[in-house]
Amino acid sequence: MSWQWVVDGVSYVLFAASGFFFLAGSVGLVRFPDVYTRLHALTKSDNLGLGLAVAGLSLQSGSWIVALKLLLTWMIVIVAGATACYLVANSARDSEIEPWTGEGR
Amino acid sequence: MSGNITTTVTAARLRRIVNRTALLALVWLVVTEADTHSLVPGVPIVIAGAALSLVLSPDSLMAVHPMGALRFVRFFAVQSVLGGVDVALRAIRPSMPLQPAIIRYPLRVTGRWPRVFLTNTISMLPGTLSSRLDDEAIEVHVLDCSRPVMRELADVECRVADLFGSNLPPLEEEGAA
Repeated sequence: MSWQWVVDGVSYVLFAASGFFFLAGSVGLVRFPDVYTRLHALTKSDNLGLGLAVAGLSLQSGSWIVALKLLLTWMIVIVAGATACYLVANSARDSEIEPWTGEGR
Repeated sequence: MSGNITTTVTAARLRRIVNRTALLALVWLVVTEADTHSLVPGVPIVIAGAALSLVLSPDSLMAVHPMGALRFVRFFAVQSVLGGVDVALRAIRPSMPLQPAIIRYPLRVTGRWPRVFLTNTISMLPGTLSSRLDDEAIEVHVLDCSRPVMRELADVECRVADLFGSNLPPLEEEGAA
């Protein structure tokens, strides 16, 4: 009797959840009305989606150093994502792109 | 007197060199999974990286408070989940509930690093996204302006200040004073 099936089960749930959030982020990218709201969809759901994938992969790897490496990767992606998000939002503001407010819906 | 100041400055710089080298060495060890063969390229790369970082950013980097950092990590993990779930549900629900607005949040926290850190953190939290950082305020795009955004932002700001080892007074209600 091993615990492997528990580890597998938990990590598959994490992978499924990860896939759901990446998908939802992409749906938001298509459906949301302007650049700002689309940035919300991408940054937040990708952050969570990648975090869940990292958690699942860390469980599967069964190694501390690999888990740390995955965690480091996630942190770098968060910083890069937040920075890129700011740059896009900031240049959209500089170009005076008006945020969608729901008027004329 | 000026000799003392020079000594202090040199000591601070030395500590900065040691800190950054140690940090980069740690990153290298993690990335290479502590493979001993990778030390040959690793040692010069770490030293070069530390030197480059001092050229690019000679000022002190983030002086993070350890307990504040732990509290912040827990907060950030919970908020990441809430933020992801919130925006995912808005995206997939047929009615797609959005009430966006742009607000200005006047900054209380001081220092370049805490402010940049706060700006980036806000973009990862539920329903908020930083679109501009200036000398007095952060401009925030909000997905749903019916939420108590100013209070949420004040809470985040307190936590970022805590992370950097300083305290902020609790936010006074608008118009109360």
